[in-house]
Amino acid sequence: MYPIWEVPYISAGLVLGLIAAFHILPSHLSTGAMWFNIYVETKAYRENKPELKEFIKKYTLLLLVFSYVLGSLSGIGIWYAATVTNPRGISGLIHNYVWGWATEWVFFLIEVIGIFIYYYTFDKVDKKTHLTIGWIFALASWTTMVIIVGILSFMLTPGKWPKTGGFFAGFFNPTYWPQLFVRTAFMFVIAAAYALACATRVKDNTVRTSITQVASLWGIGGLLLGSLLLFWFLNTLPEKSKELLAILPSVELKGGLFVSLALLILYFLFARLKPLKINVYTAVFAIIVIFGGIWSLERMREMIRNPYVIPQYMFSNQIIAHTVEAKGVQSEEKVISEKGILKVFPFIPEGTREINQRNQWEAGRLIALLQCGSCHVLDQNGLRAMPQMIGRMNIKKGKGFNDQEIAQVENLIDSLGSYPYMLPFLGTAAEKRALALYLYSLAK
Amino acid sequence: MQDPMGIPFYAPVFQVLLVLTFALHILFVNFALGTLSVSIYGYIRGEANWLRLASSLAKATTTNISLAMLFGVAPLLFVQVLYDPFWYTSNLLSAVWVIGFVFIMMIAYGLTYVFYLKGGPKKGIPVVFGIVALVLFIIAGVIMHALGYQLLQPEKWLEWYVRQGKVDTSGSVLHAFQLPRFLHFLVPSFAMTGLFLMLYAWYFRHRSDFTEDYLIWVGKLGAKMAFLFTTIQVIVGFWWLLSLPSTLAFTTNPVFLVALFFGVTFLFFLYYIQGDPIRYAVSSIPMALLTIGTMAYARETLRTKYLASFGYTIFRYKTNLDWGSTVLFFLTFVVGLVVVGYFLATVYKAGKSRETYEATAFMNRWGKLSIALLLVWLAVVVTFGLVITLRS
Repeated sequence: MYPIWEVPYISAGLVLGLIAAFHILPSHLSTGAMWFNIYVETKAYRENKPELKEFIKKYTLLLLVFSYVLGSLSGIGIWYAATVTNPRGISGLIHNYVWGWATEWVFFLIEVIGIFIYYYTFDKVDKKTHLTIGWIFALASWTTMVIIVGILSFMLTPGKWPKTGGFFAGFFNPTYWPQLFVRTAFMFVIAAAYALACATRVKDNTVRTSITQVASLWGIGGLLLGSLLLFWFLNTLPEKSKELLAILPSVELKGGLFVSLALLILYFLFARLKPLKINVYTAVFAIIVIFGGIWSLERMREMIRNPYVIPQYMFSNQIIAHTVEAKGVQSEEKVISEKGILKVFPFIPEGTREINQRNQWEAGRLIALLQCGSCHVLDQNGLRAMPQMIGRMNIKKGKGFNDQEIAQVENLIDSLGSYPYMLPFLGTAAEKRALALYLYSLAK
Repeated sequence: MQDPMGIPFYAPVFQVLLVLTFALHILFVNFALGTLSVSIYGYIRGEANWLRLASSLAKATTTNISLAMLFGVAPLLFVQVLYDPFWYTSNLLSAVWVIGFVFIMMIAYGLTYVFYLKGGPKKGIPVVFGIVALVLFIIAGVIMHALGYQLLQPEKWLEWYVRQGKVDTSGSVLHAFQLPRFLHFLVPSFAMTGLFLMLYAWYFRHRSDFTEDYLIWVGKLGAKMAFLFTTIQVIVGFWWLLSLPSTLAFTTNPVFLVALFFGVTFLFFLYYIQGDPIRYAVSSIPMALLTIGTMAYARETLRTKYLASFGYTIFRYKTNLDWGSTVLFFLTFVVGLVVVGYFLATVYKAGKSRETYEATAFMNRWGKLSIALLLVWLAVVVTFGLVITLRS
C-alpha cells in the first residue's frame, strides 16, 4: 500500500472524476470532428464551394487548441490523478495492459502529427493529399477510442480475465462493444455541438446556415442512436451493477441525464429549423448541457463498479481481494485478517503498527483512511463524509466511551459486507476495535 | 512492492523503450524551451532578422510542446512498468504538485498559443505572455525533476511521509531538488535549439521567400548557440558527476564513459562546423542523437545503481509473458511508422517550396496504403475481438 493523498471535502477520487469527465469533451470531439470535416471538405471540392473552407479552418483550429492542448493534458491528467488516487489500481491495470496503452499511443502519434499537418497544409497541398490526411486522422483518432474502451470496460466487466488472466479475454469483455458503440454515437453529438459553435463565427451566412443544418442532423442522429444503444449497454450490465444503478445514483444525477438529452434534441431541432438564430452564447450553453449529461453518465458508470476498482481482483481501497491463479497473484484478505493491516503494509508509522492505549485513536483513523478513505472523506462535511455516515447509522455519542457503545459500532463494521456497494472490514480484532473507537468519536 | 501482476514481456525490452522514448521526450522539451526562449528574446531585441526568426519560432514552439507531451507519455508508461514502487511513492508524497503539473501545463500551453497568435511588436500582446509561459514550463520541469529524484531516495520516504509520528497526507511538498542534475536537463535546451536553427537554415535554403543572408545568419546563430551551450552542458555535467555519491562509482562506469565520449566528440564537432553550419546541419543529427541516446542510457544506468543499493533490480521483475499483446504492439508500431512516414514525407516536401504541393503517384500510393493499413488493423482487431466475445 502506498502513501495516501487526502483531499479535504471532495476526496482524491473526485479530483480524478472531474478531470476525467472534462476529458470526454475534447476527446470525443477529436474522434468525431474529423469525420464532419472530411464530409464538408469533400463537399467543398465536389460542389466547388471553396467558401466552406472558412468553416473547416476554424473547426480545425478549435481541434488543435481545444483537443490537442486541453484534451491531451486532461488525458495525461487522468493518468496522473489515477496515480495519486489509486496507485495500486492503475499499477494493476498497467501491468496487464501496458501493450494496450502502448498500442493506443501509436495512434496518438498519428493523431498529434496529423492534426498539425492537416491544419498547416491547408491550401498548401493538393486536395487529394489534404483529404487523405483527414481520413488518416479520422480513422486513427477513432481507433484510440476502440482501444481505451477495452480497458475502461474491463474495469466494469473483466470477462474471463479473473480466470485466465488473458489480455484479450479481459479486453473484449461483455460491456466492451456496447460501450464502444454508445461512445461512437455520442461523439457525433459532441462534434455537432462544437461545429454549431464554430459556425456562429463564420461570416458567410450561406455557409453558416448549411453547416448548422447538417451538423444539427448529425447531432440528432447521434443522440437518438446513442440513447438506443444505451439500452443495449444497460442490458449487458452484470446483475450487481444493475442493482447498484437502481440504488446508488441520486435522483439529480439520473434526472440530469434525461434533462440534458431532452434539451439537446430540442436544441438541434431548433438549430435545424432556424440556423441563424443560434449565436455563440447559445452554442456554448449547449456544450455546458452536454457536459451535464456527460457528468451524469460517467459518474453512474463509475458508481456501478463499486466496491471494486478491478472487479474480482482489487477493491476500491486497493486491497487485493481475490486470488488470480493464472497470474500467480494471491488474495491479501487472509494475511490482513490474521496479521493486521497495520503490520502488513509499508508506510505505516512505527509507533502505530502495534495498537495500544495511547495510539488507538490515531491507529483507528489510519485504518479508516486506508480502508474507507477511497470513497469517504473523514472531514465533517464533503463527499459521503464519514461523520454523516455514522450519523445515518443512528450511532449517537453517549457519555464517554463505554464497551457497549463501541460494540455497537463494531457490529456496524461487521455488517458492512451486507451492503452491495460496501467493502468488508479486514484486520485483527484489535484493529476493528480501534476503528470502532475512531468512528464512534465522529458521532454527535 | 513490485506489482504482483508482473510484467508481460522481458524487462530489458521495456528498459530499451523507456530510454529511447525518454530521449525523444527530452529532445522535444529542449526544443520547446529553446524555441520559446529565442522567440521571446527576438521580439525584445526587435531587429528585422530577430523579429522574423521570433515569429517562426513562436509557431514552432506550439508543435514542439505537443510533441514533447506526446513523447512524454511513453516513458511515463514504462517507468511505471519497471519502477512502480518508486514512481508511485514519489508521486503520492507530492500529489498536489503532480496534479498541479497538469494545470500548470494547460495554462502555459494556452499562453504559448496566445503568444504565437497575437504576439510580436506589431500585434500588441506583450512578450510577457511568452515569459510567463516559459517560467511555468520551467516550474513543470522542476516538478518532473523532483518526482524523478525523490524516486531515487527510498531511505528518505518515511521521513517525508511521517511527521511527528503521524502521516502527512497532504501531498503538498516537493521534497528533493538537485540543481546540477536539473540544469543538466535544462541547459541542452539552448544547445539543441542551436541545432534546430541550423536545420531550419538548411531546410529553407531553396525557398524563394527566404534570403540567403537571413538563413546564413540563422545558421551561424544556431551553431554558436549549440557550441556555447554544449560547453556549458559539459561543465554542468561534471558538476553533477562530482556531486554523486561516491559509492555509486559512476565516474568509472563504462556506460557513462561511452556517453561522455560521444558528448565530448559532439563538442569538438560543433567547434569544427562553426564556419559552415548549413553544410553540416544534417550530419549533426546523428551526432546529437548518439549523444542524447547514450546519455539517456547512462542516466538509466545511474538509476539502476542508486536502486541496487536497496536491493532492487528490474531484471528480477516477475514475468507473466503475454505474446499476444506484445505482438499487437510491435505490429501496430510498424503500421504507425508507415503512416507517420507518409505524414512527415508530405510535409517535408510541401514545405520546401512556396507553391502548392502536388503529390507524386508514389506519394498518393503511400497515402492510400496508410488508409488501407488503418482499415485492415481495425478489421483484424474487430473480427478477432468479436470472436473472443462470442466465444466467452
